[in-house]
Amino acid sequence: MKIELNNVSKAYGQGDARFWALREATFTASSGDFVSIVGPSGSGKSTMLHILGCLDQPSEGTVCVDDQDTTSLNDAQLSRIRRDHIGFVFQQYFLNASMTVLQNVLLPMDLAGVKEGRKKAAVALDVVGLSHRLRSFPAELSGGEQQRCAIARALANRPSLLLADEPTGSLDSKSGRAVLEMMISLNAERDLGLVIVTHDEAVASTAHVTLNVLDGRIS
Amino acid sequence: MNWIILANARKRKARLVMTVGGIAIGVATLFALLSLSAGIERALDREISGMGANILLLPEGCPYELTLALMQGSDAFEHIPTALLPDIRAVENVDVSVPVVVGKARVNGQLTSIYGTTQVLLELRQWGIDRIEGAVIGSDVAEKLGVGEGDTLTIRLYAEVQLPITRVLPPTRGRDDTFVFLALDTAQQILGLDEKLSAVLIRTSSVGATTQAQYTLGRMSDIQAVPPSDVFARLMELFASIKQTLILITGIAIVAGVLTTMNTMTMAVYERKKEIGILRALGSTRRNVFRLFVHESLLLSLLGGLVGLAAGFVATQFLPRTSGFGLEATPQFSFLYVVICLTVAVIVGVTSSLYPAMAAARTQPIKTLREL
Repeated sequence: MKIELNNVSKAYGQGDARFWALREATFTASSGDFVSIVGPSGSGKSTMLHILGCLDQPSEGTVCVDDQDTTSLNDAQLSRIRRDHIGFVFQQYFLNASMTVLQNVLLPMDLAGVKEGRKKAAVALDVVGLSHRLRSFPAELSGGEQQRCAIARALANRPSLLLADEPTGSLDSKSGRAVLEMMISLNAERDLGLVIVTHDEAVASTAHVTLNVLDGRIS
Repeated sequence: MNWIILANARKRKARLVMTVGGIAIGVATLFALLSLSAGIERALDREISGMGANILLLPEGCPYELTLALMQGSDAFEHIPTALLPDIRAVENVDVSVPVVVGKARVNGQLTSIYGTTQVLLELRQWGIDRIEGAVIGSDVAEKLGVGEGDTLTIRLYAEVQLPITRVLPPTRGRDDTFVFLALDTAQQILGLDEKLSAVLIRTSSVGATTQAQYTLGRMSDIQAVPPSDVFARLMELFASIKQTLILITGIAIVAGVLTTMNTMTMAVYERKKEIGILRALGSTRRNVFRLFVHESLLLSLLGGLVGLAAGFVATQFLPRTSGFGLEATPQFSFLYVVICLTVAVIVGVTSSLYPAMAAARTQPIKTLREL
């Protein structure tokens, strides 16, 4: 699977208040790649990640998923791309507090109509080392465990691309390192494309490619 | 999808209870109203058809009030002169004519309905006895006064009479249970209604002859001839108008329930913005989110409907049995009422969820995640 950003720009607001968060970004991410996006806060890193993950649409330029232009797709088609091909990991984990660890991972499988979802969700949690926490609720987990649960959820539908927005930002250094090592090993073992937005130079240095974003432009 | 709804409900128990409770109250009211109305209709039918007469001869006045007074054992201001009885019996096709006088008197010190009649009444009532001697009493009277066969009743109003109880009737669940039956002349003496009758029950020789007999009897002075079926139909019309008003009030309560549930669900959408944003980010389509909220509302309303049915059933068991025209009405339950109530609950649930579900479906995942 391949996602291409071609001269993508993203603006917010109208008229004089119009603000360009991203300018003429061109970039490709494929299965097996490991790309880090670095830059100061407000530079446009997350905007780029959201457009890459079909969560947001560009104001200008095109986004192609396997050579298909997604700017002409409707909401349902974009949702299906997210569901079937892309996994998201966020800094704040965004787990559903009313669901158990197992149910959080089961959720995307249920949306995709996966059969034997519970069994597969348990396997995904085993991969991230949480097989002993299936019936726990997110509030009962440490930050590192919650992020590992979020990774298991992102991997639930076996995506080709894992997009992580500062995944270690809320974790202590030890937990952060463990989470990062897990994602790197998944990238290597599963041919999983990995795009990480990070402030952490150490994280960026482990990536195959590093993109520096400054004032909305890739430098 | 159900497990997602269940997980959410587990976290928001208070909201679940309020939503289900709101729908349950409306459904319980509707179910109780329908079953009690059916009970009153049935009681009225049973009483009127239980008279065993094709024609009711009543004094001049409102036939419906007079019929109700006859059923309830209350004295009316108007009466039929006893002297008319030979003329009535002489009318062609009049097979059985039963003179009746009713009113309330002190029986062993308690105000009780008395029913004076002749032995001919036994041709219309299936009581399994050959004669009305002394006092024949209904089962409720026996219970109320704490008396039984062989005891003596002291009946007093304008005159005082002591009568032995010769028979306690088995329960009929009708007004007969509440009467003391005695000889016509004795009742007239007690009630101060010498030579006066409350009504005459007529049975014609055949159903086909009823119209002709009614016409002839209706032309006699000071009386009116009314078929019980007409009285029943008219009373049912009166009752229907009361029922419609009650249903209208229940309808308003249900509409208020819809708006309350809609408000609750809309608030739930705002409260669950994060959950919706995550769902959308994970690949849930707008349609998925819309269906999730409608489905959730549908399940909650069905649950509310079932709780309401149970609550309505329990409520009918505690409400007074004597209601509507002073008749003892046992609520009548029907599968149709269950279907009606659950359908109303489902309509309430789906209607109230449409706007919140649309609001939830419009959620932009990226906007929501940025705000978190």
